[in-house]
Amino acid sequence: MSVEQQDLNLLANEKRGRFQLEAGQDLYGWNEVTQGSVLPAFEGDASNVANQKAEERNYSDYNSYSATVSSWRVIKPVFNIDVCIDCQNCWVWCPDSSILSRDKQMLGIDYDHCKGCEVCVEVCPTNPKSLLMFSEYEDLGDALASWPEKKKKEKK
Amino acid sequence: MAITSIKNLKEFSTSNDRFEGAHTLCPGCAHSMIVRELMNCTDDNLVVSANTGCLEVSTAVYPFTSWDTSWIHIGFENAATSVSAAQVMHKVRKKKGTLKDNDAPVKFVAFGGDGSTFDIGFQWLSGAFERQHDFTYICLDNENYANTGGQRSSATPIGATTSTSVAGTHSYGKKEKKKDIVSIMAAHGSPYVAQLAPNKWKMMAKGFQKALETEGPCFINTVSPCCTEWKFEPKDTISITDLAVDSLMFPMYEIIDGHELNILYRPKNVLKVEDYLGAQGRYKHLFKPEYRHIIDKIQKDIDEDWARLQRREEARV
Amino acid sequence: MAVEFEVNEREVWDGNYAASQALRQADVDVVVAYPITPSTPIVENYGSYVGNGYIDGEFIMVESEHAAMSGCIGASAAGGRVATATSSQGFALMVEVLYQASGMRLPIVLNVVNRALASPLNVRGDHADMYLGRDCGWLQVSAFNAQEAYDLALCAFRIAEHHDVRLPMMVHQDGFITSHTAQNVYPLSNEAAKKFVGTIDPVDDMLDFSRPVTYGAQTEEDWHFEHKAKQHKAIMDSVPVIEEVFAEFKALTGREYKRVEAYDMEDAEVCIIGLGTTVESARVAAKEMRKEGVKAGVVAMRVFRPFPYEELREVLKNVKSIGVTDRSSPGGAMGAFYNEVSAAMMTSESRPLVTNYIYGLGGRDISIENLKTIFKEQQANADAGHITTDIQQFVNLRGPKLGFFKSKRS
Repeated sequence: MSVEQQDLNLLANEKRGRFQLEAGQDLYGWNEVTQGSVLPAFEGDASNVANQKAEERNYSDYNSYSATVSSWRVIKPVFNIDVCIDCQNCWVWCPDSSILSRDKQMLGIDYDHCKGCEVCVEVCPTNPKSLLMFSEYEDLGDALASWPEKKKKEKK
Repeated sequence: MAITSIKNLKEFSTSNDRFEGAHTLCPGCAHSMIVRELMNCTDDNLVVSANTGCLEVSTAVYPFTSWDTSWIHIGFENAATSVSAAQVMHKVRKKKGTLKDNDAPVKFVAFGGDGSTFDIGFQWLSGAFERQHDFTYICLDNENYANTGGQRSSATPIGATTSTSVAGTHSYGKKEKKKDIVSIMAAHGSPYVAQLAPNKWKMMAKGFQKALETEGPCFINTVSPCCTEWKFEPKDTISITDLAVDSLMFPMYEIIDGHELNILYRPKNVLKVEDYLGAQGRYKHLFKPEYRHIIDKIQKDIDEDWARLQRREEARV
Repeated sequence: MAVEFEVNEREVWDGNYAASQALRQADVDVVVAYPITPSTPIVENYGSYVGNGYIDGEFIMVESEHAAMSGCIGASAAGGRVATATSSQGFALMVEVLYQASGMRLPIVLNVVNRALASPLNVRGDHADMYLGRDCGWLQVSAFNAQEAYDLALCAFRIAEHHDVRLPMMVHQDGFITSHTAQNVYPLSNEAAKKFVGTIDPVDDMLDFSRPVTYGAQTEEDWHFEHKAKQHKAIMDSVPVIEEVFAEFKALTGREYKRVEAYDMEDAEVCIIGLGTTVESARVAAKEMRKEGVKAGVVAMRVFRPFPYEELREVLKNVKSIGVTDRSSPGGAMGAFYNEVSAAMMTSESRPLVTNYIYGLGGRDISIENLKTIFKEQQANADAGHITTDIQQFVNLRGPKLGFFKSKRS
């Protein structure tokens, strides 16, 4: 398991996570806000978004894909691809569209949009789990190096 | 309708999310699990409306939207009306040939919380169903006005403490039973009404696809555990949902054409409701000796409701 | 294709029927409505045009006025032409969503057949509902008779849907007096009307799936003010479009509309300002006063929003005393229209005397004699150089004379 596979920008479209949600917004004037406060989600023709992966889409700056909530996290999920069975439980229950699955394979976490809720860890069925929570400041390589061994089944 | 394969989770995971992250829903919120799943169930274009509520205030905070589809929010009560009128406009413009792409497939969906569905928006919802518009209404039922700080709604179950049905020395919390919204919506003659839960993802996806495919107004009540107001850890959203459906606090069933009731999930081991209540802070007070009888009452209600559901399923009336 | 509905060069229509014919000729795509007296026939008629194939649109009869305007918003955001009608309590129930329609910049046309607001319940005409809508961010235009209700409804689509405007617009007419009184109306031919109104060119179309849009975003203290300011600017900037459409309409029909209408004002020293059917009565009274040697004129507010401050100053620049008529219960203040006119004249060179007359609530008649009395009082003010009456008076009210506020100004 290499650290590259835990790339913080895994599958990131160049637009992803550019804006801090609360702070640092570019607060422009009345003459520049959109008419009727309408927000277009994409730039250019977006007829085909249902068939496009995030990294293929031309998101607008108004799309929250362009924003990040990474500052919400105090703990983060770390993904261990070596244990994962690609069951996609984490994908279906992630409330923040932050599980990066492609071609039926779980590849990693979108750390711009993950809020660290830990649901993915809870629903992970492998032994040991393929996702575990670590401090936000834990080095990913160190986290993987400290992965626990398979737990023996407890006798009932 | 272009439906997404839900044969198994691997297949389903090839859907391309059209509900984006960096919305401001609480970590672990079930609302977004449900919304994501609905939007992943089809490749069709969607026109989505939302009532005021957690979903709405968290997913379109200027200058950001989390919606990759057409989306509209007007007020607390009128998502059913706005989306059904948009559906009528679509019909007119299609006939007149004034749409940008006259053949683009589209589905119309409205989301509301339980406050807007059971209470303030009920008239608008009922009106749109009576008019038989072709749309799907999804209630994200977290059993309280979470967006305004956890007040009781008519979806709040008996015994829960909320900021306006406060449990204390003289009260065990909310006194009244939850409104039976599913039966009420079925009584509108809706072709498809169901109650579903996000922990049973496939069952929920099937229901969503059925609702989207069915012509006419379809209603789905989804249990949406609220870690903030139900008082549990965000990570436990799915395990709380498991307890909800396995204790039959939230039975999963559908009603076709207003009368044909099918129970969708029969737990192998039905759990005591105590297990469900005990996992949440909002019911903590019920475990005091003076309020234990309310737990018994809730259990009795569940048993009776479950028996009644089974009789309705059998009778098909 | 819709069946051709034949119209004659001259018809005898009441205001409601006239407005409904404008909706038909404008080929409105969707009408979402809920019935309320006295505006009901407008939407009933539209429904009958749908039912008889005279129009290809759809009529959605919903369960409340709130839902009616909510539906109009959904339908308008879905890119087609949308109109409805309401009055009074129904208007009041709509108010929440009126703000949403304008905030989203949706060009909905709302025919408001003005009626009093309860309590006590009353179905007759006054302007309480119109005043209730004055801060909603809609354009508001007032028709004084059936012909104008028709003409202005047609113009409203042009103005509201213009890309430099994109604002919803109300066309007001007086309940019963205009709405239910059959009068001669000269409609445009179907073809001419269709050509004049044109087709809607949608902006931020929810049904354009190549460009998904989010309507109704949340804005807090960091953004809300900018959006509201932009909206206000759009209302202010609608003036050239309103004038352009009125000019085009005049070229087509010979019927001229101005944002401020002036009658006998060339040399007037005193005048009455009003709107609605009272304008025609005041014009009769002014003519009679002129025979008595009073240089009387009438100013009528055609466009209530955006409020025509500069035009008003211009038309009133040589007037010495003005009686502003408000047909709405003022609720503890001066009439709203009085306040607007006073604001305009306070900042003028001439600063004429301005008094306020509350009249006609709940459909109470205002007679030529009542209006002549107002002229006479204005003349007395002009002669004395100060206001000789209470600043606010109630006209044609039974019981002891009711008035408020004295002037200290001489």
